[in-house]
Amino acid sequence: MNHQKTVNHPDGRIVRTTSAYDCGGRCPLRLHVKGNQILRVEGDDAPEPNQLRTCLRCRAYKQYVHHPDRFLYPQKRVGKRGEGKFERISWDEAYDTFIRQLDRIKATYGNSAILLATGGGYLASLHQGGLAASRLLNQYGGYVTHYGNISSEGAVWASLTQYGSVMVGHSREDMMNSKLIILWGWDPARMISGTNTMYHLIRAKENGAKIIAIDPRYHDTAATLAHQWIPVYPGTDTAVMAAMAHVMITENLHDQQFLNTYTVGFDAFADYVLGRQDGVEKTPAWAAQISGVDADTIQTLAREYATTKPAALMDCQGPARSAMGEQYNRCASTLCAMTGNVGRPGGSAGGGLMGIPVGHMFRQSAIPPGKNPFEADGPNVKGTLDIRMRVKKRIHINTLWDAILEGTKGGYPSEIKMMWSMCNNYVNQIGNSNKADKALKELEFIAVSELFPTATARYADIIFPVTSAAERNDFTRPWPSGPYFTVINQAIEPLGECKSDLQIASELAERLGIEGFNPHSEEEWLKILFDNNPEYTTHIDDYEAFRQKGIHRIDLPEPIVAFRDQIKDPQNNPFPTPSGKIEIFSRRAADLDNPACPAIPKYLPTAEDRFDPLAEKYPLQLLTPHPRNRVHSELYLVPWLREVEEHRVWINSKDANARGISDGDPVQVFNGRGTVALPAFVTERIIPGVVAIFEGSWYDPDENGVDRGACANTLTRDAYSGGGACVMNTSLVEIKKVQGSA
Amino acid sequence: MQMGFYFDQSRCTGCCACQVACKDWHDVPAGDEKWMRVLYSEKGRFPNVFVAYLASACWHCAAPICADACPADAISKRENDGIVLVDPEKCLGKDDCGAKCLKACPYDAPQFGPEENARMHKCNFCEDRLAENKVPNCVEACPVRALDAGPMEELETKYGTGRTAEAFTWSKRTRPSVILKAKSAE
Ligand code: SF4
Ligand code: SF4
Ligand code: SF4
Repeated sequence: MNHQKTVNHPDGRIVRTTSAYDCGGRCPLRLHVKGNQILRVEGDDAPEPNQLRTCLRCRAYKQYVHHPDRFLYPQKRVGKRGEGKFERISWDEAYDTFIRQLDRIKATYGNSAILLATGGGYLASLHQGGLAASRLLNQYGGYVTHYGNISSEGAVWASLTQYGSVMVGHSREDMMNSKLIILWGWDPARMISGTNTMYHLIRAKENGAKIIAIDPRYHDTAATLAHQWIPVYPGTDTAVMAAMAHVMITENLHDQQFLNTYTVGFDAFADYVLGRQDGVEKTPAWAAQISGVDADTIQTLAREYATTKPAALMDCQGPARSAMGEQYNRCASTLCAMTGNVGRPGGSAGGGLMGIPVGHMFRQSAIPPGKNPFEADGPNVKGTLDIRMRVKKRIHINTLWDAILEGTKGGYPSEIKMMWSMCNNYVNQIGNSNKADKALKELEFIAVSELFPTATARYADIIFPVTSAAERNDFTRPWPSGPYFTVINQAIEPLGECKSDLQIASELAERLGIEGFNPHSEEEWLKILFDNNPEYTTHIDDYEAFRQKGIHRIDLPEPIVAFRDQIKDPQNNPFPTPSGKIEIFSRRAADLDNPACPAIPKYLPTAEDRFDPLAEKYPLQLLTPHPRNRVHSELYLVPWLREVEEHRVWINSKDANARGISDGDPVQVFNGRGTVALPAFVTERIIPGVVAIFEGSWYDPDENGVDRGACANTLTRDAYSGGGACVMNTSLVEIKKVQGSA
Repeated sequence: MQMGFYFDQSRCTGCCACQVACKDWHDVPAGDEKWMRVLYSEKGRFPNVFVAYLASACWHCAAPICADACPADAISKRENDGIVLVDPEKCLGKDDCGAKCLKACPYDAPQFGPEENARMHKCNFCEDRLAENKVPNCVEACPVRALDAGPMEELETKYGTGRTAEAFTWSKRTRPSVILKAKSAE
């Protein structure tokens, strides 16, 4: 295959499509296809400067779709559970086994013993995640499932509390209007926060914006752009923010007019900051002790942010994936209000940089899953801030394994006996992978719908091989860039015997005797999904042209700015909160009467923060940032992406020297939950006292329980914050050099 | 006329989309053979760190020393556009000739696969795309538009004549066809 000429292929064709990974980008692709083979990828051909340029991940699309390790046929387990040994079987046998087990478990334990585990592994309208499977299991009498997502719960809770909405984003073009951009825990060079986000950021800098990066790491975005890097210890961001507020209040730099007009509860927050509540003034010196950022730096930062207008505080979600995560996003939003930057071009609303109200993944259409009978007698959780309500009938995503092991006696909604899993790799991607190993060995039956032999798929008894986006037709959307809508146009016929999740659910329904489960063809579905989404019908006249072009861009007279209307005309446009204002003090949070969910944003100590006595044993804080060469754990096996960057643990030279570790040395990182083995990357780009392992590398324990795949979550806790954030960035570890290979 | 590259190091995030896109276009398997490479440099001590990436292909030198070094005459400079091409058929193979081109090239541009006595391959400026008036695939792939390509005169008009960048040394002897925008410590 080396150097074979694929240039002029007369019978080749170009397919305009996009992928549906769990990333923020939706990049137009032009796939060169010949026969049933993708030959290569070209990107968007719109005229510059508006090309939507794909990142390295989709550049390797061919190696992903045609990867030799893909499951092309149904499989059954032949080795021990978790060993990953499978044998090809027919679809008939796969379906029969699945239905036999499903029926048996239902008859023996009831529907609540069936766990449906779905995820973001494929984000589009028709074949989205587990929608088809939930539709099926709803009609089958119900199941238990999980609540929340790994990425953004802290930000979601913060935004719902503060603003009553998660539509807190600006379209990325708006950064051109900013004079100061603070990247707080945000590395869009790696984490695709919407196609072209990094490009917009670069242009904003070239346009004169000052860029400050606050992060434990000097990540690639900071290294490319930042005028200033402020290293900070994980989990202490909120302390720095509270001290910034202290500077603004004591120096009278805050926008009192704005606070009077648009917010409630600032006085309560000011009381906290000035120490009127607890006798502790949140001064820069106080925050310096906690965060490692010196007092002068905090003071200068606060002054600069308060006096540079407009300024965009871009508080991404990484620091919120921690034990008090939502406090960080809430405090950021509070600073945005204190500086009058909410609703202003070039400003920001904080809150984790989430949705925009058009052309965004949040408002993608989807097939209707129906209602889950198991949840029928549960509480109404719509819009609630009370996580305790949300976990009455569902399991918090980051406690899935514990729920399997502990069941109702652990306070979980049911006793789980089987799992059907799709569009996820949760063994890898939720906290405490060793607990996953234990839990999944307890189950009576596991079916996994997958493309690849992932860490999760290895535990399956039955594998349903599913198609990739290249083998499907669908609609999908990006995060806040553009805005635009994209189409997935089928490039090749399903490989081997792969089927889509919807087809699998439909065929199971037929065998289960569930009538009318799937009344439409794929084409009919697509038209219905299009017609039923007012965003499409408002912006697109020609359905066929949309399908053919694979993209529709929405021309906006000006960039989208969250809450622009509320700020312009507050009388007629209240915020969607109970008070109609930005709630710096939240009555709803106060009513929760939960110390982990204070009514105003606060810095609070937590388990496994840097002051936990456990730090004597495990003195290093672990960060688990996004990788650049895969999307979480998707694309892990793709060779062109693997070679881009070796999987290594970042460690400061000071910590490395203290342990006799040199760059490239094999090391083990460990704590009470597990041990991972990988080489060290000794660098000055991380604050001493912190190590970083990029999430998504596949869990692969050897016979001694050492994770040779070095999955970050082998070391993380399976717990959640008061607002439901997964605590991926709140773990303590130690690291040691080992002999031989890692 | 001489075709060449522009590289803006101040924009490059080191993402390697250029490297992957090059491999995709030219069907080069994963491994050491990289016609486009992204080099990493890190300097300084915490918290005063300087990091730079350098995208590095073949710079299609005005005086390609690789061609002089090749005992089999496998490397030639194309008259009309100055791109430097290798004829793998003529190449003796790395083990037989000792990779003389690679030793001569100041930029490590000649590349070899893992196979025994591998023949030399390297960036060919995407000559097939060039024939269709398209920019090289790496250029089109760069998400932050840190790369450009075209006739050197045009590039000079657009971008000036920068010859320095972190981890790059302009060779007076070979005169690489590249214009650079250096990244400096803030
Ligand atoms: S960069 Fe190296 S291989 Fe390319 S033309 Fe110059 S000397 Fe030859
Ligand atoms: S010009 Fe073409 S061959 Fe050369 S590095 Fe770029 S993509 Fe590769
Ligand atoms: S694609 Fe662009 S930003 Fe990425 S490594 Fe290459 S030159 Fe740098």
